[in-house]
Amino acid sequence: MSPIAIEVDSPPQSRTFMRRFAGAPLPWIMPVIVVIGIFYLYPVIDVFRLSFTNATLIGDTQDYTLGSIVNALSSPQLPDILWATLIFVGGSVIGQQILGLAVAVTVIRGEKRGLFGTTILRTTALIAWVVPGIAGGIIWQMLFSEAPYGALNSIFRLMHMPTVAWLSDPAMAPWSTLISNIWRGTAFSMVVMYAALKAIDPSLYEAAEVDGATASQQFFFVTLPQLRAAILVNMILITIQTVNTFDAIITLTGGGPGRATEVISLYVFNIVFRNYDLSGGSVLSVLMLIISLGLAFVYASFLPKEEEQ
Amino acid sequence: MKSATVSAFALSTMLFSASVSFAQELATKDRIGLADAPKSLVVRLTNDSPNNADPAIAEGYQKLFVDFIKKHPDWKLQMQFMSSDIGTEQAKMLEQAKAGNAPDCAAVDSFVLSQFMVNHVLADFTPYFSKEEVDDLFPFIRDGITDKDKTVRAWWWDTDLRVLYRNKSVVADAPQTWDDLKKAALASTKEGMEGVLFNGGRWEGTTFDWLANYWALGGKLVDDSGKPVFGEGENKEKFLKALNYFKDLVDSGAAPKRVSTIANYDDMNAAAAAATTALFIGGNWQYAQLKSTLDEDEFKNWTFSPIPGPTADQRSTGTGGWTIASFSKDKDKVEMCANLAREVYMGPANALQQQLPTRKSLFDKYEVFSTEANKTFAKALVDGQARPGVPIYPEISNQIQIMMGDVLSGTKKPEEALDAAFNAAMEAYKRL
Repeated sequence: MSPIAIEVDSPPQSRTFMRRFAGAPLPWIMPVIVVIGIFYLYPVIDVFRLSFTNATLIGDTQDYTLGSIVNALSSPQLPDILWATLIFVGGSVIGQQILGLAVAVTVIRGEKRGLFGTTILRTTALIAWVVPGIAGGIIWQMLFSEAPYGALNSIFRLMHMPTVAWLSDPAMAPWSTLISNIWRGTAFSMVVMYAALKAIDPSLYEAAEVDGATASQQFFFVTLPQLRAAILVNMILITIQTVNTFDAIITLTGGGPGRATEVISLYVFNIVFRNYDLSGGSVLSVLMLIISLGLAFVYASFLPKEEEQ
Repeated sequence: MKSATVSAFALSTMLFSASVSFAQELATKDRIGLADAPKSLVVRLTNDSPNNADPAIAEGYQKLFVDFIKKHPDWKLQMQFMSSDIGTEQAKMLEQAKAGNAPDCAAVDSFVLSQFMVNHVLADFTPYFSKEEVDDLFPFIRDGITDKDKTVRAWWWDTDLRVLYRNKSVVADAPQTWDDLKKAALASTKEGMEGVLFNGGRWEGTTFDWLANYWALGGKLVDDSGKPVFGEGENKEKFLKALNYFKDLVDSGAAPKRVSTIANYDDMNAAAAAATTALFIGGNWQYAQLKSTLDEDEFKNWTFSPIPGPTADQRSTGTGGWTIASFSKDKDKVEMCANLAREVYMGPANALQQQLPTRKSLFDKYEVFSTEANKTFAKALVDGQARPGVPIYPEISNQIQIMMGDVLSGTKKPEEALDAAFNAAMEAYKRL
């Protein structure tokens, strides 16, 4: 219904209401504010509150204290957990970004040349993204299985190559979880990069060709600078996503062997649901929030300003 | 004659349709009982229910539930089902119970029952079970379901135990001791096998299966007050001895290094099916699974025996199982929940799923438990030991899983790993 129709059809009382709030945005966005407040803001505030208490899942009382913060942050396990998280998040962001861009460029070039298989490539990558984390973990568990019938090691044996202790070697296991997460997240980066590549003005490439630029020069001096905003936004999104990932890890390694693949989100899960330590889990959840926001701000500071665009 | 036959056929069809539609009315996916029944009981269950993935078992439960509700026509059961992430489900339910929002009647895992007890959220089941029924329970079951005042707080209806499975064609005699097992496993590797398999990954099964060795030595995880003691004094020595035993199995090649990645009993079934192992430590329910997985000739080669101890007469095995408990304050609902535990689970469900009953007399009552295998399992329950019903247990288990991974992968020395696990468990204990 057009605004004119509202004007004509609406009863006088409704017209007065519309006119009164026509220039005021607050009444219109109030429902959104209420929903966000209840479902997003309140839990965050409660997590902050709980981190200043000694609440447990099985205790009846809770007192306000700074002890939980001190305990959680001085835990001897935390440095190892943060290191495992850094490897997992850093490796995932870099890997997904590079592979996503590579697949998107391949698809774009393939489409330009009318090659067969670009849709298949795009769909195949997207399947990995659609698969739930737990299912992804099970798939990679079968691939990495070190049993005599394990998929990847069986291929290595056929090729007379040494087998790999994918999950039982504490030095190798973090890389195995990383590979599985890169596999899963590449499609998201591909979609973002594909859209950004499509938006690049073709005249820039035409001008570059006139100037005699090679393909690699076009990529580094035209494509990449044009993708800067998309790359940074993508990095923010996949960083937050990866910091919060634990479903795939819990299925693939459970955080082991030992604590080799226990990232911070899994650590929080264990603290709350194994140790029943609600306040400790809340402190670490706030830490996760700070890490995610901090990284997001760092990336955002590199985003092109309006005048640059 | 023809018209009589047609009439009879029509009548029988009509009656059959009526009975089918009645049955359908009584059982939907989330309700058992008539939709307009005046009384309602919210029930939250695991897959030991009509939600079972095996259609035959699901159908069997459906029948048990429909029969049950026919005896209680004023009631309807509003069904809720848990995911397979049991630890999280139970922790969530505890939170709900504390907030007064828990289901009226629910499945509670036996090893977290104490968490619910210490929070005083479980209704009193004592009036609904006779003294004879309680006395008929295995002692560890009886202790598990009663609180300090000897009040029955739940009904533990099934139990299980761990045994050593072996392929007789490769390992002819049952290993009796730790040394026997190591020798048998090493001998099996010479025939191209992987050696003995057991859970060593990050999950509860790893702790539980290994604890049998620690318990066989007489080790204790917690003292009478529920405080962790496994890293102190004699317990520490026993703990290290049992830990070094597993480490030695891996270091010597009697067990493959990949045991530190095994976090699922199905992995053992897969290895048995692929004929890559001749020995594994598993649960009693796996015997039926092997029977349905393996060819008849292959299955004949498989048998089981008690988990070897440090010596032949030092034996133990972990026992677990599920309980039914009520969180309701309404006495009618508590009674209905107790009825459900009694009429559906205490016996019929055991027989349906061939899950070991918790009462001695039920082994004689149901034919399925008269098989040689089930008789042997029942005898082995004598050595059964349940996990300590204390709030700190899940964190002790978590620390043992971490410790096992560190030790089996060679990241930490046993004593160093034990000290780290004990210190972490003590830190957690202080915060509880």
